Amino acid sequence: MLQVARQIFHFSSLLGTLTSRDLKARYRGSVLGFLWSLANPLLLLAVYTFVFSVIFQPRTAGANPYALFMVCGLFPWIWLSTSLLEGTMSLIANAGLLRKAVFPAELLPMVSVLSNLVHLLLAIPIVAVALLTGRILNYPVGGLASLLLPAVILLELPMVAGLTLGLAALNVHFKDVRDLLANFLTLLFFLTPVIYPIDTLRTYPPLYWLVRLNPFTPFTLAYQTTLFKGEYPSPYLWAQMAIVSLVAWLGGSWLFDRLRETLVEAA
Amino acid sequence: MSEPNPAIRPAIQVTGLVKLYRRTAPGDQLRTLKSALVERSLTKNLKREEAIVALDGVDFTVAPGEAFGVVGGNGSGKSTLLKLVAGMLKPSAGRIEVAGRVAAMIELGAGFHPEISGRENVFINGAVLGLSRREIQRRYDDIVQFSGLADFMEEPVKNYSSGMYVRLGFAVAVHTDPDVLLVDEVLAVGDEAFAHRCLRRIEEFLATGRTLLFVSHSLDLVEGLCDRVLWLEGGRQRLVGEPRRVIDAYRQEVAELEGEAHRAAKERREERAERRQAQEGTTPEATDATLRWGSGEAEIAELRLLGPDGAERYHLNSGEDAVFELKVRAAQPLADFVFGIALSTPRGHEVWGTNTDLEGYVPTRFEGEATVRITCPALRLAPGEYKVDVAVHSREGAPYDYRKQALTFTVTARTGGVGVYFPDHRWEFGGGIEWGSTG
Repeated sequence: MLQVARQIFHFSSLLGTLTSRDLKARYRGSVLGFLWSLANPLLLLAVYTFVFSVIFQPRTAGANPYALFMVCGLFPWIWLSTSLLEGTMSLIANAGLLRKAVFPAELLPMVSVLSNLVHLLLAIPIVAVALLTGRILNYPVGGLASLLLPAVILLELPMVAGLTLGLAALNVHFKDVRDLLANFLTLLFFLTPVIYPIDTLRTYPPLYWLVRLNPFTPFTLAYQTTLFKGEYPSPYLWAQMAIVSLVAWLGGSWLFDRLRETLVEAA
Repeated sequence: MSEPNPAIRPAIQVTGLVKLYRRTAPGDQLRTLKSALVERSLTKNLKREEAIVALDGVDFTVAPGEAFGVVGGNGSGKSTLLKLVAGMLKPSAGRIEVAGRVAAMIELGAGFHPEISGRENVFINGAVLGLSRREIQRRYDDIVQFSGLADFMEEPVKNYSSGMYVRLGFAVAVHTDPDVLLVDEVLAVGDEAFAHRCLRRIEEFLATGRTLLFVSHSLDLVEGLCDRVLWLEGGRQRLVGEPRRVIDAYRQEVAELEGEAHRAAKERREERAERRQAQEGTTPEATDATLRWGSGEAEIAELRLLGPDGAERYHLNSGEDAVFELKVRAAQPLADFVFGIALSTPRGHEVWGTNTDLEGYVPTRFEGEATVRITCPALRLAPGEYKVDVAVHSREGAPYDYRKQALTFTVTARTGGVGVYFPDHRWEFGGGIEWGSTG
């Protein structure tokens, strides 16, 4: 576990260079560049907003205006899911590098996590504009509490990194991991209160607790609390995030470390 | 140096090294994963039957400042050995100790990203090889100059030719300043001028007391560069020692194996011919008219190349005595006959040809079965492959039996050279000319 952290720290400047390489390479030759990374979330946002505020007029108590509510949870969710999906494939995709050069393998999943984090950061202005518009329209969104956003992101980072590292290492041995993950993430998207406020579930306690125990839920709640409600998360929520993040990081990097020596051979 | 001095701490020490690879059986992932998780290795508790043995009991020590070469055929374990020393793979058994910073050139430009510029790739590649950003910054100009790609540094490397790619990769690798440099067959690419520049750079590197582990199929290069050589065969250590001795032994065996293959091919050919003959009642000669023709009044039944010891050979070392032996037969007694021989390269360039008529033999009688031997003491052909044509014909030139490419043999030599002739020679220099230790 320590080894993974030490390597990442030791190669931090290479990690930065690789991340910027990844971003540059991704958008080289494309006219709209990184704006494409916003296209999918905005499309999702438009569709769900249409469905939930025009077609259904559902119990969206505590999620009004809906588009504003959803935008707060959606971008972080996309960071999480894209990092996991890309990062899981990163070792296999770069097998050539691992086999032909002495290369710190942990950097590859980390590059996926960080370059998707950059996408999240680039989406913040959109969220900010949305929140400001909300405030002008007299909704109680945003405010001072939203300045806690970086803290929540920083707290989520070890979780995303740990999960990505562990899944990437597993995927080298089990190619099923990626397909499992892709399907699991689809399911999890609906088990995380991104497109509905968790309070709507209170009338169905089993479902409520299922969603509440989902390790991604505390983070989504924290984003919604700080950004949408403009409130400070409870110490209880902070503690949950910290514990989930710590456990995921330790578990993921432990797994990576155990499998490290087999990666070059099996990738 | 012949044997390393035990008092100095070795740069590389390898003891009892074994490397197994797991045979990948479908549906075996769970077991593989279990062994990876529990043993931190895919092969630690593996039975040998379940594994491919890549290296089996390799021991050697390389002293600081030494250039150590590794030769062997494909699949002999050379690259695995290099990856183990580089620390990319873990040994299944045995120990490897390496002193100081290691840089491995297993594939040049590994990790170059095609979409971004040469300049950015230099920084990434340098960092992969263990340099800090500032160190790369300091060496950047040298790297660019060495690669000779100053005009292309802002281009994405996907627009580079494969030679440019390799040049940039090598330029970065040699500027990382390691204590131990591992090189795997990378000098074979790039043009000649660049290969020379690379070699000079490696020599400078050795001159400053750093250590080289060099894997190559280019035996001349290994012999020229290395102080000692290890010959691997099927993962086992065949021979370690003085380059000339090891490489000669290796060459000898390769040539012998090729001879075996030639012999086996010839036997199979003859068997097929016999079968055809038995089935169709035709003679084998009738089937390849482009390589053999003649009236049949006389016949060359067999052509063999014999070495100095009189044994049949398909290869020669340049400068060895060679005998071409013909078994001939006259269908009826002949008074007008000439025996001829010619050597040519596979591309059809004539190397040498002569016949008994040109050399003043006046034919009188040729009857029944006979033997003709052409002995060439110290045949100094350049390394390469040669074809032998033999003929028996009348003095007017009417062929009795003309056999083109009746025999193929290879010539090996200690050093390279171009052309077909390889005279004994030496170089002498006077005045202000100096040479390094290699060559």
